[in-house]
Amino acid sequence: MDQAAILDHQFRIAAYVVTWTIQLGYVAWLAMKWRAQKREAERLGIDRPKTLR
Amino acid sequence: MKKIAISLYVAVTIALLIWGYYQAIYVAPNDAMQGEIFRIIYYHVPSAIVAFFFFAVSLIGSIGYLAFKRSSPGRAQIADAWALAGAEVGVVFCTVVLITGPIWGRRAWGIWWTWDARLTTTLVLWLIYMSYLLLRRFAAGSQMQTLAAVLGIFGALDVPIVYMSNRWWRTQHPAPVFGGAQGSGMAPSMLHPFLWNMLAWFAWGVLILGIRYAVERHQQKIAAAEALAALEA
Repeated sequence: MDQAAILDHQFRIAAYVVTWTIQLGYVAWLAMKWRAQKREAERLGIDRPKTLR
Repeated sequence: MKKIAISLYVAVTIALLIWGYYQAIYVAPNDAMQGEIFRIIYYHVPSAIVAFFFFAVSLIGSIGYLAFKRSSPGRAQIADAWALAGAEVGVVFCTVVLITGPIWGRRAWGIWWTWDARLTTTLVLWLIYMSYLLLRRFAAGSQMQTLAAVLGIFGALDVPIVYMSNRWWRTQHPAPVFGGAQGSGMAPSMLHPFLWNMLAWFAWGVLILGIRYAVERHQQKIAAAEALAALEA
């Protein structure tokens, strides 16, 4: 592999890693929000909304 | 039954993402001019198309909120939850576009960024929806949802401008691959991996949109319960 091909490979990997980091980071943030809501709902004594059943 | 359907959808989406990755890396050939760096298109372009779709969801939700706000508050809250979910998931995909684009540009053009029409209008779109999310996060009061809905509608006006930008103005960004001038398009060996990735990212986007919507509806219910508790106290 020449130098340009190695750089192309690294940049392609960087783009894919960034994509997955953003997407999975967002899902992790949603999961944390969901858990915090669950605790809050339990504290207030309310059920999950109909859409979640 | 619903749980089984959701689990099945999640499994199909993960399978599609794995299949899309396989297609992008092992099936699609290297571009004759660009080499391997071309493969960024399999994540970059589907992310842009999916972002546009979710901004459209946000637009419909915002219009729905304004339409139902007086006549049917329950429906207005549902529309508002879709508007927020669409905007937030749209911003996630738009962020991917704005980062993967410059990574490609650094190798293809030798620069990370240029104030070209497509790049600039996309950045403006991202900034509008970031301000929408910040408004929703930090503004308080009964008018917040109305202001957000109006901003959501104005923000969506930028979507067709972004789409048309490299048709109206000939700038540094590559000409449209699909629906462009005569001779535009993709070789079938590249088109099939592209379509698989398009389907995979769309399925993934719908999944996280559904989760975000459910979280927002739950938040609305908590807010209503807290308001009721405050009144009773």
